[in-house]
Amino acid sequence: MPALFLNILKLIFLALVYLFLWQIARSIGAHVGPGQRSKKTKVADELAVIRSETMAGQTIRIGAGIVIGRSEEANFVIDDTYASDFHARIGQQQDKVLLTDLGSTNGTYVNGRRITVPTSLGKGDTVQIGKTIFEVR
Amino acid sequence: MNRNAEASLLVGASLLASLGVAMVNFTLGRGFDAQVALTFVVWILSFGSVSLALRRWAPAANPYLLPLAAILAAIGFTEIYRLDADLAAIQRWSLLLAGAAAALVLFLLRGEGVRQLRRYRYLFLTVGVLLLLLPLLPDSFPIHGAEINGSRLWVRFRGLSFQPGELAKLFLALFLASYLADNHVAMSVHTRRVFGLGFPPLRHFGPIIIAGGVAFIVLVYQRDLGASLLLFALFVGMAYIATGRRSYLAAGGLFVAVSGVVAYQAFAHVQRRVDAWIRPFDDYSDTGYQIVQALFAMGSGSISGSGIGLGRPDLIPAAATDFIFAAVAEEMGFAGSVAVIAAYALLVAAGFGIALRTRDVFRKFLAASLTIVLGVQTLLILAGVLRLFPVTGITLPFMSYGGSSLLANMILVALLARISHTGRSV
Repeated sequence: MPALFLNILKLIFLALVYLFLWQIARSIGAHVGPGQRSKKTKVADELAVIRSETMAGQTIRIGAGIVIGRSEEANFVIDDTYASDFHARIGQQQDKVLLTDLGSTNGTYVNGRRITVPTSLGKGDTVQIGKTIFEVR
Repeated sequence: MNRNAEASLLVGASLLASLGVAMVNFTLGRGFDAQVALTFVVWILSFGSVSLALRRWAPAANPYLLPLAAILAAIGFTEIYRLDADLAAIQRWSLLLAGAAAALVLFLLRGEGVRQLRRYRYLFLTVGVLLLLLPLLPDSFPIHGAEINGSRLWVRFRGLSFQPGELAKLFLALFLASYLADNHVAMSVHTRRVFGLGFPPLRHFGPIIIAGGVAFIVLVYQRDLGASLLLFALFVGMAYIATGRRSYLAAGGLFVAVSGVVAYQAFAHVQRRVDAWIRPFDDYSDTGYQIVQALFAMGSGSISGSGIGLGRPDLIPAAATDFIFAAVAEEMGFAGSVAVIAAYALLVAAGFGIALRTRDVFRKFLAASLTIVLGVQTLLILAGVLRLFPVTGITLPFMSYGGSSLLANMILVALLARISHTGRSV
């Protein structure tokens, strides 16, 4: 029965190819995606600088509350000519993280929209101050 | 640990390659000669040398890139061997050469190598463009261009022929990553809005316009629709990835649409391709022949294929090169083609994963642009074979017969692996 034998051989070849790909697909998950997702906390507590000329990659702990601005007296001094001296404040209130614009010249943006009132932040939101963009983590 | 997983997967892929060859021998009555063992040895030597180079100079590299390339090469090689044993013998030598070249690249880039590439951007641009234009050298020169099937893509030196455009893509990807690493911030600033999309100052469209120009020259003088589209997609895609501005995509899409219409009106070779795509059966015996043969082949493949060596993929013109996917779809069926597409998808996912996880902008952009080169090339030729798009005549990475393509893609994967090694460090 060569026809039957060839058919079985064909299926074995295909099965081996799929087995191979399955082995890779199973373990590739850990290698795809931005990674570092394991440290999951419920409330956002960190800002990561994701676009900036000089500060990209830095992270800032929010803690009880911080003021971001260009002034030396701000909690987080931002190196960005488009930011105001005291640009915005981020603080914890009950279980929320609130972002307040402190009357800055160029405004504060959450997910691309300029904010006018204190705005609550969740993980994954982006905050833009001047030309610097943060991501809430 | 990772490297051991890679090694065992590579052995698996090598066994599959020789199993494929054994099946061809069996069904075509070629007898169990040395080919089976030889194929296994070549796979082990070629991919093994890259794997050893990774072990030595990039031990933390992503361990799945190389096995994916190895299995794609194994499936493709089985079909090449089935179609023409002489081509397969040349392909084996190319694979050895490609493996050695990739290992050499890893050696040269040991330590801080990749970071240093950032400095030589205009050298890479010049080399890339020169390589692209090399086939235009007149026939009287010792190294001269050659025209095959109406496209002038080959360079001949004595008896050797080479497709320099394949390597040019790597150099252009390097240039682009370096250029964008320095300019992406400026390029993402909007100065005006048109139709609800913000647009950066006109001078930042410079690279896009240059890309359009180069793509246009390639299209007109070398009649190479595929390389032209690939280069343009690379430039536009990278401008978008680097800036996050959709205006680059919009401008690029508009440019492609307009120049597509113009090219269709102005160039007979483009017109022929498009007509053969839309109405292949109108001119079945001539321009539509290749596509129609491929459609019949894929249709007769059914779910699990006719069996390796039992179909007639030899009836498709260029079955071992551009249309290798149709041959695979006929003899390994829907199941085999889905496996191939899945392997490419995993490769592209791994590539973008590396780009996402890399902090240093230059290496991040380099990983992204190499992945775009690989992904867009695969997409273009697969879509062409499946009649979702006009046939663009580029090779399917790792599977098609062709030394230049194999060499370029092996180096591409080695570069991606090298970037993944230093992924998270700044």
